[in-house]
Amino acid sequence: MNASDSDEDFYNERTALVPSENPVVPSYRPDSDLTPENCTPTKVPGVSRRAGPAAPDGGGGSDQEVDADDEELTLKYGAKHVIMLFIPVTLCMVVVVATIKSVSFYTEKTDQQLIYTPFTENTPSVGRRLLNSVLNTIIMISVIVVMTIFLVILYKYRCYKFIHGWLILSSLMLLFWFSFMYLGEVFKTYNLAVDYPTVGVIIWNFGAVGMICIHWKGPLQLQQAYLILISALMALVFIKYLPEWSAWVILGAISVYDLVAVLSPKGPLRMLVETAQERNEPIFPALIYSSAMVWTVGMASPMDAQRSEHGSDEEAEQSGGRGEPERRQPRTFPEDDVEEDSEFIRDQSVRAHQSERRLQQCVCVCVCVCVCVCVCVCVGGVKLGLGDFIFYSVLVGKAAATGGDCNTTLACFVAILIGLCLTLLLLAIFKKALPALPISITFGLVFYFSTDFLVQPFMDNLAAHQFYI
Amino acid sequence: MNLERLPNEEKLSLCRKYYLGGFAFLPFLWLVNVVWFFREAFVKPAYTEQLQIKTYVKRSALGLLLWVAVLTTWITIFQHFRAEWGEVGDYLSFTIPLGIP
Repeated sequence: MNASDSDEDFYNERTALVPSENPVVPSYRPDSDLTPENCTPTKVPGVSRRAGPAAPDGGGGSDQEVDADDEELTLKYGAKHVIMLFIPVTLCMVVVVATIKSVSFYTEKTDQQLIYTPFTENTPSVGRRLLNSVLNTIIMISVIVVMTIFLVILYKYRCYKFIHGWLILSSLMLLFWFSFMYLGEVFKTYNLAVDYPTVGVIIWNFGAVGMICIHWKGPLQLQQAYLILISALMALVFIKYLPEWSAWVILGAISVYDLVAVLSPKGPLRMLVETAQERNEPIFPALIYSSAMVWTVGMASPMDAQRSEHGSDEEAEQSGGRGEPERRQPRTFPEDDVEEDSEFIRDQSVRAHQSERRLQQCVCVCVCVCVCVCVCVCVGGVKLGLGDFIFYSVLVGKAAATGGDCNTTLACFVAILIGLCLTLLLLAIFKKALPALPISITFGLVFYFSTDFLVQPFMDNLAAHQFYI
Repeated sequence: MNLERLPNEEKLSLCRKYYLGGFAFLPFLWLVNVVWFFREAFVKPAYTEQLQIKTYVKRSALGLLLWVAVLTTWITIFQHFRAEWGEVGDYLSFTIPLGIP
């Protein structure tokens, strides 16, 4: 790849991805140079000889070349983006599915629900259950809409500190508290004895380096890895605490919301992206996964000043006003003969109760991370919102948790990647921010329900009757 | 963050901040420092700040090795003697495995 000397020279998102080519220089021919000087009669043929090799490089078929080059650029540009996003999305889904399959905590039935989905699905009648899931969805979607609008308003009025503070708080909680829970569950699953000092050191290192990489400066791969892990953790929380039918209806509803929010002229996400582009600022890094770094010289200093200004705004908007009171579930303690036992049980359940309450509070704050559900182009690469990662992983994770076997999971995985591919193709054609959820989630849902209800019984029947096709 | 595009003084300052940050019980930060700046310190042709970056990388590696040694020792001791310590062992444990030790 030839690196051009001047960065400003025709440097936009397309040329950043496609190697720039220096203009073809006609080769040096000493005899043609010398002849016109030595013998004047041969000057004309010398000139024409020199013009000869130059002709195919210059004018001639330049128009057709430009068109062909343009198309090639578009295709190369689109293909590179696809690869750059396939890997993180796949990794996130692999982490979620691996956890679901191995750590039973995330698939255990729990009566505890998020305060965003207050209606229970434990009713015997189908109609009631459907109604409850639709109501849960309405509440959840309105929460997200309100948060996004709040975020956009704060961003427009430049309340950057507020957003910055809220985003830091939510990533703090995700990096420390949720990973602490996750680690605890993994150790319990593998029946390991681990002491508090070791766990403390591990979590402190993981969290602190994560905060540094995401909100300050760090190696790009590490920042990407942390964003993937954050999305996976959030998706796992959703998988555990969203009731069955509500989860599917929420996925469907959020892709419709995404379509509206990003494409309609007054949509909040569209306004967010446009405002960011107008002011020539990046959308806050804790909300969006960037496949490549922004390659401008001396980027670090002005970026930091800008980032510290408005990072807080975006995150705070998304986190919104999370000061709602937590739900308390009444617990009855069994009366035991042995005092110590009952004390111990009470301690355990109180501790569990407290940790669940803390969890609710954390989730309140962290739902902000899901707000960014668009994909957009930036200089040097393509950006995908963390909300997209989260909802893709929720879909695949739910398929792994509740689906029959790995066929369903694989089908959903393939469906999402196909959808992502198509979305990026559209991105290469339209070159503006697009919703990344609708196509993928639609394909995912279609594949999930058809595989679970049509293909799986079909395959089982074939296997039962030993009929191989 | 692409190191290639930073001027040398900023690279040095970043390396130094990572080195100093690692003293807050963050051996992982030292590991990141070593891996990230290894090429800058040892592979790239010499420039003015490279010597200092080299020092920081070497010291980070040293600190990292020290931490690894301490942690390994502590974990070995804990795993071996946890059952014998009885109450103290339980008090220190984050997760207690089921079954007979």
